[in-house]
Amino acid sequence: MTMETTAAPQAATPNRSFLRDNPSVMWFIGLLGVFTVIVTVLSEGMGAGVISTNLVKILGMTLCLCLIAIAMDVVWGYCGILSLGHFAFFGLGGYAIGMWLMYARTEIVIRDNLAQGAIPATEQEVAEAVASQIFGVVGSSDLPLIWTFAGSLPAQLALVVLVPGLLALLFGWLAFRSRVTGVYLSILTQAMTLALSLYLFQNDTGLRGNNGLSGLQNIPGALDVPQAIISVWFFWASAVALGLGYLLFAWVVSGKFGSVIRAIRDNEARVRFLGYNVDGYKLFVFTITAVVAGIAGALYYPQAGIINPAEIAPIASIYLAVWVAIGGRGRLYGAVIGAAFVSLLSSWLTGGGAPNVDLGLFRIVWTDWWLVLLGLGFVAVTLFFPKGIGGLFDYLVRKKP
Amino acid sequence: MTLLEVSGVSVTFDGFRAINNLSIAIGEPELRAVIGPNGAGKTTFMDIVTGKTRPDTGRVLWGELSVDLVKMSESQIAKAGIGRKFQKPTVFEDQTVRANLSMALKNKRGPFAVLAWKATAADNQRIVELADEVGLTERLEHRAGDLSHGQKQWLEIGMLLAQDPRLLLVDEPAAGMTPAEREHTTDLLKRAAQTRAVVVIEHDMEFIRRLDCRVTVLHEGSVLAEGSLDHVTKNQQVIDVYLGR
Repeated sequence: MTMETTAAPQAATPNRSFLRDNPSVMWFIGLLGVFTVIVTVLSEGMGAGVISTNLVKILGMTLCLCLIAIAMDVVWGYCGILSLGHFAFFGLGGYAIGMWLMYARTEIVIRDNLAQGAIPATEQEVAEAVASQIFGVVGSSDLPLIWTFAGSLPAQLALVVLVPGLLALLFGWLAFRSRVTGVYLSILTQAMTLALSLYLFQNDTGLRGNNGLSGLQNIPGALDVPQAIISVWFFWASAVALGLGYLLFAWVVSGKFGSVIRAIRDNEARVRFLGYNVDGYKLFVFTITAVVAGIAGALYYPQAGIINPAEIAPIASIYLAVWVAIGGRGRLYGAVIGAAFVSLLSSWLTGGGAPNVDLGLFRIVWTDWWLVLLGLGFVAVTLFFPKGIGGLFDYLVRKKP
Repeated sequence: MTLLEVSGVSVTFDGFRAINNLSIAIGEPELRAVIGPNGAGKTTFMDIVTGKTRPDTGRVLWGELSVDLVKMSESQIAKAGIGRKFQKPTVFEDQTVRANLSMALKNKRGPFAVLAWKATAADNQRIVELADEVGLTERLEHRAGDLSHGQKQWLEIGMLLAQDPRLLLVDEPAAGMTPAEREHTTDLLKRAAQTRAVVVIEHDMEFIRRLDCRVTVLHEGSVLAEGSLDHVTKNQQVIDVYLGR
């Protein structure tokens, strides 16, 4: 048969180490490390004081958003499942850790108060006082069943992983088994998110309805440590989580597994005829990314200080998809860039940091116009730069064909 | 021995009977050509065997244990040893030729096994052999999307061989190939058929003649004639169907 002779084939090196094959991973970890050191050195709590505690918190929260963005990129950019529900998993992780934070801190405060009385309080009295302190706001004084383990940090940490993981497993199993794909699956995930959010809005759900959980920035056991220090601790934890998450996902998508899930994205039916159980792969990806989203949420909300059901509303998950699209789908650092860029820009513009533009007849007030800008940006990226911001790196490190 | 036995299978699409009480038996090893006019049900036959389409009635029995494929999913059927090449070449264009072949290689298919998978020397050796067999050695590290139409056909045949199936279902393998490539394809299919069962759907009579095998003629969803090419082309019914009554 005829055969085209093209450029010499690249060296056949299928067995090189993972990191050498993926130089972008080393770059990312390196830059993240440098960034962490710089922020620490300049922080109010541990360094020169150039970066305020509030800004350290914003940066730490941004790292958590980057972590959920890479999870979204794996499930959407690599596996082709446009999930509009990953922020629900993020929120559930936040609620799981928030329950412990709130319960344990309230318990400490109550014990201190009761200790001043003449008669030492019984455990029963402490538990009742804690319950009525937490749930007084929704007119109840009983501790709901889901708060059974709220006093135990290990149990709530386990729930950070288990609740999002099991929900994703159940939901994914039902959806993928029925071969729901494409836009129908997106709608289904959005419906799940909306249902969960509406459920949590109710006062009798056991998670304080629309009040949500608050005071999460106060860490039991470290109540006399100033926020300036705690903010740096959480910043570090967020950076470590992002670094580990990046390594995990880069490893998952680099090898044959990545090959299979990208193949599922491009032609699901063909993968089935190769003998792969497509539903199993989707379920695996959906669940592992949900777990990582839950961990990201558990690190985010202690920095935010408050969580309420509005955080879980479908719009949050849509933003997530927008970040990933703007940053560049199908490459992990693209998702990080998109999440960091858009969310920081958003807090700058809506936080009153940006000067409003006076056009004479018309005044652009960024707090109102930010969403318009985001929408236009999203349309522009979709139309003109389908590879997103991350696609710019292709010009920098263009591999010679 | 009989490897695949399709018996009494019927399928209706919106009132149209695509397959009508079809019965075909394929041995192992065997090379079999399936011909027939458009709409005769050739591709639907493959859809049924591979689990893409569920028949309304009938059974599709497979292997020594005579398991019924009708109850199995596409991926289970593929794992049982049935490989398929589609009419339109469907390779994963975004990935390299090597990645395409590597995915098709006969290895464990579960998510956890694949996650831990590392190419062994034997795997790499096999990929090189396959690439050589289908003339894509020089193209191993190229994107499959950059291949010509004929090369994509080849890659898909390579992927089929990589699966090492007991039964190959090949739908119009020669479409879009040059005469030299067609010749190579017939050689390859004949060689494959020495150790396994191969079923080829083809329109090109010259190609079928070169395959030199038993031919099944389908018409309106059932078998019209079966035998050598000379035998079936002398059949009056077959002539009527092909030339119009």
